[in-house]
Amino acid sequence: MSKDSLLEVRGLKKYFPIHKGILSRHVGDVKAVDGLDFDLGRQETLSLVGESGCGKTTAGRTLLRLYEPTGGQAIYRPDTDGLEVDLFKISQAEMRDYRRDLQIIFQDPYGSLNPRITVGNTIGEALRVHGVASGQGLNDRVEELLERVGMRAEVSNRYPHEFSGGQRQRIGIARALALNPKLIVCDEAVSALDVSIQAQVINLLKELQDEFGLSYVFIAHDLSVVRYLSDRVAVMYLGRIVEIGTTEEIFKDPQHPYTKALLSAIPIPDPRRRASHIPLTGDVPSPINPPKGCHFAARCSVAESRCFESYPAMVGAAGGHQAACHLLES
Amino acid sequence: MKSDSLGSPNKEEPLLELKSLQTHFFSDEGTARAVDGVSYKILPGETLGVVGESGSGKSVTALSVMQLVPQPPGKIVGGEILFKGQSLLNKTEDEMRKIRGNEIAMIFQEPMTALNPVYTVGDQIIETVRVHRGLDKDEARAHAIHMLTIVGIPSPETRVDEYPHQLSGGMRQRVMIAIAMSCDPSLLIADEPTTALDVTIQAQILDLIRNLQKKAGMSVLLITHDLAVVAEVAHHVAVMYAGKVVEYATVEELFDKPAHPYSHGLFKSLPDLAVDGEPLATIPGMVPPATRFPSGCRFHPRCSIATDRCKTEEPQLDYLEGNTGRTAACHHIDEAAKL
Repeated sequence: MSKDSLLEVRGLKKYFPIHKGILSRHVGDVKAVDGLDFDLGRQETLSLVGESGCGKTTAGRTLLRLYEPTGGQAIYRPDTDGLEVDLFKISQAEMRDYRRDLQIIFQDPYGSLNPRITVGNTIGEALRVHGVASGQGLNDRVEELLERVGMRAEVSNRYPHEFSGGQRQRIGIARALALNPKLIVCDEAVSALDVSIQAQVINLLKELQDEFGLSYVFIAHDLSVVRYLSDRVAVMYLGRIVEIGTTEEIFKDPQHPYTKALLSAIPIPDPRRRASHIPLTGDVPSPINPPKGCHFAARCSVAESRCFESYPAMVGAAGGHQAACHLLES
Repeated sequence: MKSDSLGSPNKEEPLLELKSLQTHFFSDEGTARAVDGVSYKILPGETLGVVGESGSGKSVTALSVMQLVPQPPGKIVGGEILFKGQSLLNKTEDEMRKIRGNEIAMIFQEPMTALNPVYTVGDQIIETVRVHRGLDKDEARAHAIHMLTIVGIPSPETRVDEYPHQLSGGMRQRVMIAIAMSCDPSLLIADEPTTALDVTIQAQILDLIRNLQKKAGMSVLLITHDLAVVAEVAHHVAVMYAGKVVEYATVEELFDKPAHPYSHGLFKSLPDLAVDGEPLATIPGMVPPATRFPSGCRFHPRCSIATDRCKTEEPQLDYLEGNTGRTAACHHIDEAAKL
């Protein structure tokens, strides 16, 4: 597709093997992510949404090779000069050079900062490891980063426990920014925050995107935050993307029955307009042995016999609004 | 089902009424005034939504009603809790034990930790009704299956013998609700009941609570940080900040026009209501820790219309002009209306 996108992901797969018995025989796989295709433009925010267990977090981590991918490609174009590299093909040593471009912010601002390391060292560590700065230069850069995320420079000698959840999340953002990344995976980065603090952090993420030309892969379950922040949205169900499109297309004109049910479940902050939910019965099937047909068929109110026979292909313009549903095939 | 009592909320006898309740925690680092003068009431058959950010004291208030505040370090140091006209603070522990479960039941945010992992879900319902209702074994088991049916658990005859880990998060919360409802309480306290759940499951659980309430005619005290959840299920709303109620209104009144500057700020921070391309409005600063609440109005350091008076003089909840039972605690309620 578009030759100037930052990242082109094709067939991204991550299986977790299941071992049993004293010989640890390989008896099957949890197919957490089972073939994702998406592009990410420069300075674009793509959100991965879906319920717990749909594979959105695994997808984000595999993209950065925090998990080794089982299959697929991730073509990365650091600049517009034509250089391309498949992040899934290169060695871990080569990957190190690209890591500075690819950062992550985690959900839990308590668990993701080392309690024994000062804020300054937390942020400065990557600068030192990558040999970007040292000595006074490093201190200056840390202070600059702290101020950029709305903290006072003096806090660099303090420890994480002295800060609130919102401040810790700012520290996590400063750490991610340290090496001037091009892409940040935000894994439920604002989910644990109170609404007034969440708004502050969302605004900060937006400002930083404009200022540094960042691309975000935004992983979230809060759809009102997703709607506000994203350019495009990919809806995941049981390890696959079932619908992808611009934020407006997904929220105003959802095509896939699952997307419709998901959106109808969002509570509306207006007591006179109580939401009419499309009820979803039954459970998500097991990712160990997903059904051969459409994964959503058993819970779908409009499913037909063919839906149980074969997995539907994506319908719609390539690179545009697409959904995987047999009923959309003409 | 919206309250018919909108015009006369004060005439109906409340089921639960808190009057200037104070629950403090004492430690070496000082006194945390987690709940510091909370007053609100719940009418029979209605849902009161209590909203506020972490540390506002909304959960500790609920635990105080149940008298489940760990003591020490916590202690109810002042105020009154009236349930059906009787003071709960004068009850002995034995009397309270009869009220908990029978009259007032509670469900929590994390259904995995609230359920006992080594007992089947049936055992946990059976225990409740045998203790409180004196049913024999077979009756209690039949009642357990009946309750699981009511909360929408498929094949309850087999599920009754399963353990909590065999159920999904949504199913566990349904089991919690089945336990809570099993003695037909007149008040259900739900503390962030859907926060840990996916949005689709949340919708189901909220529907369930709403339907059970209609059928059983019970009152619900719903504690949440999510204004959209309040809009879906509550009749009245109490907005809490730093250990106090700052505003109390019907859900329509509050969502049409929040009166208190803090409520106003909360609404403005919602991404749902944001204008495309505009940054979200934010409340500067953060919630103060309960050991160091500011003097005067506790919101004044974060408030855009605060004056010198707000720094020294604490505003009390006061009825708003032209309204029926709506109250807010702000010295500058007229200016706040222009925000």
